Amino acid sequence: MTASLLVQSAVIGLSIGSIYILMALGLTLMFGMMHIINFAHGAVYMLGAYVIYYVFFQSGAPYFVSFVVAMVLLGVFGYLVERSIYRPVKGGIEPTLVALLALTTFLQAAGYPVFGQLDKHVPPVFEGTKNVLGVMVSVERLVIIPIAAALVVGLYLFINKTKMGAAMRAIEQDKEAAALQGVNVHVVNGLAFAIGFALAAASGALMAPIFKLDPMMGEQPLLKAFIIIILGGLGSIPGAIVGGLMLGLIDSIVATALGAEPAFLLSFVFIILVLLFKPTGLFGYAQ
Amino acid sequence: MAPKTWTLLLVAVVLASLGPGTANAADVIKFGISTPLSGPAAPWGIPHKNATELIFDEINSQGGLDVGGKKYKLEVIAYDHKYVIAEGVATINRLISKDGVKYISVLGGAVVKANEEPVNEAGVLNLPLAYAEGLVSPKNPLTFHSFPSPPETTVFWKWIKERHPQIKRVATISPNDDTGWWSIKIETTYVEKLGYQIAAKEFFERGLTDFNPILLRMLAQKPDIISVMASPAGSVGLIIKQARELGFKGRFIHVGQVDTSVVANIAGKANVEGMWVHGYVQSPLPEKVKAWQAKYTKKYGEWNATSIDFTNPAFAFVAAVKKAQSLDPKKIADALHSVEFENLWGKAHFGGKDFYGIANQIIYPMPFSEVKDGVATLVAQLTPPHN
Repeated sequence: MTASLLVQSAVIGLSIGSIYILMALGLTLMFGMMHIINFAHGAVYMLGAYVIYYVFFQSGAPYFVSFVVAMVLLGVFGYLVERSIYRPVKGGIEPTLVALLALTTFLQAAGYPVFGQLDKHVPPVFEGTKNVLGVMVSVERLVIIPIAAALVVGLYLFINKTKMGAAMRAIEQDKEAAALQGVNVHVVNGLAFAIGFALAAASGALMAPIFKLDPMMGEQPLLKAFIIIILGGLGSIPGAIVGGLMLGLIDSIVATALGAEPAFLLSFVFIILVLLFKPTGLFGYAQ
Repeated sequence: MAPKTWTLLLVAVVLASLGPGTANAADVIKFGISTPLSGPAAPWGIPHKNATELIFDEINSQGGLDVGGKKYKLEVIAYDHKYVIAEGVATINRLISKDGVKYISVLGGAVVKANEEPVNEAGVLNLPLAYAEGLVSPKNPLTFHSFPSPPETTVFWKWIKERHPQIKRVATISPNDDTGWWSIKIETTYVEKLGYQIAAKEFFERGLTDFNPILLRMLAQKPDIISVMASPAGSVGLIIKQARELGFKGRFIHVGQVDTSVVANIAGKANVEGMWVHGYVQSPLPEKVKAWQAKYTKKYGEWNATSIDFTNPAFAFVAAVKKAQSLDPKKIADALHSVEFENLWGKAHFGGKDFYGIANQIIYPMPFSEVKDGVATLVAQLTPPHN
């Protein structure tokens, strides 16, 4: 592998890593708060992409308006899921997991009759390519990097600098103690669901013009997001960032050097090695 | 009324209700289809089902298929396997065991290969649209491959060699399964014999959306042309889009079959320009194909050019049943070995014994197109290298 090819694959790896970070953010937030793995994350990602298809491409609304519509709609959907699934089972982890799995299956199965059997596409929003350190990268991929960064910073500030964020952190540490201090656990949990779903919708909305749309499109991102949050540490936002970038670089550099299959294998070997030495992941901590 | 009388009356009612129904069921020939009706390979599966139904509709409207002096209606029972092997096994099992189907058409090499044993054991006649090594073989005597395979379609490379001598380095990218492995093995062996250099040979998992790392590796080898044989339309669209973004200026070729309009929707019209493809023609269409286009559009509302070549299983089946004058799959198979029938491109028959060891591969003048101004334009019709 030449030095120039290494640089090229690293640039591609960073763009892939940014996509991975976006996918993992909502998932890690919900795990950190409620200790549940949101199996519906991939299906919500898919719905976010379809909102862009209908609102931006079919109805002609501006892209960023459609992007916000996707986040708001799916955020409200997340809140409703908390009200109708999570709250009735009193936050039970197992029943919530099973219910979210059922929700995923339902949304994917309903996707074909509702959205059609053929793949859909969304025309590029940011056309053209840029030469970055000798490698041509599409502008639409480059745009993801600042948007992902803005969402990460926004989420970080919300959690660490606002009263609602402090309530979230309090619930994460001890739900009962937080409730005794006057924190409305239901409202905060509902908000966490809404933010988690909105972030999944945001990544789907950003990916829509880059890839293609089909009701199963969320499966692979969900798998990647799981790998990232396990690697970075369950519930850790810095972990999701570092894990996403590392996985993006491994996927790109190893696939460029050795091929796609060794890259797939090596990403798992890498995670196993990390977990052997740090079972809680890079930034995780024992509960 | 005594209980015994009630029982007799009940039996009589049941028998009376069964009688005509049983006779009606026996007058129907059920033809099973297991194909991807959703997901990335749906652009193949939907026209597969629709084309078969349309041909059968026409025969039914004329009173049905005459077998031994009796008229039979043709009925399609179709299931979606999503191009997932497990779903394919389940749908074929259902067709054979539950629906009692004796004749099937399956799309997808990996799915057909996974079902070889159950299909052979059940003595079911299979007219697949699938690429897989060993599919057309003496061990599958009732399997008649109804679409030109890589050993037939690679002949188009000879046409390219003669007309575009500047193309020297070939890169290939295909799905990482039976279909992809066999297709690429046949294609690379053939093009190397023609004097081309194989610059890169890559495989991807079905469902992959980010091809950038694989393409970066491929493009570092400076290919003149990229073959995407056996890849479904959705994947081909993404491969072309991303390869162009990475700066690839050469051509793409798919001598399997792909809907270039679906590809262009994803990749962008300009990026697909100049692509060569087998089995997908939008213009100019011969009169017979135009008539088919009109019928197809009337029934389904939207024209799909992939349906042209996917009529083969239905045409072959109907022709063989007419010749065999029997519903026994083995007798229909015997008839398929000798029947010559018309498909939408001309005369077709099953041959290829010299190559495969059994004459179970469809042979006809295969259409090849080049995308010009966004339209898949017919540039040649070639016959396979073996008869």
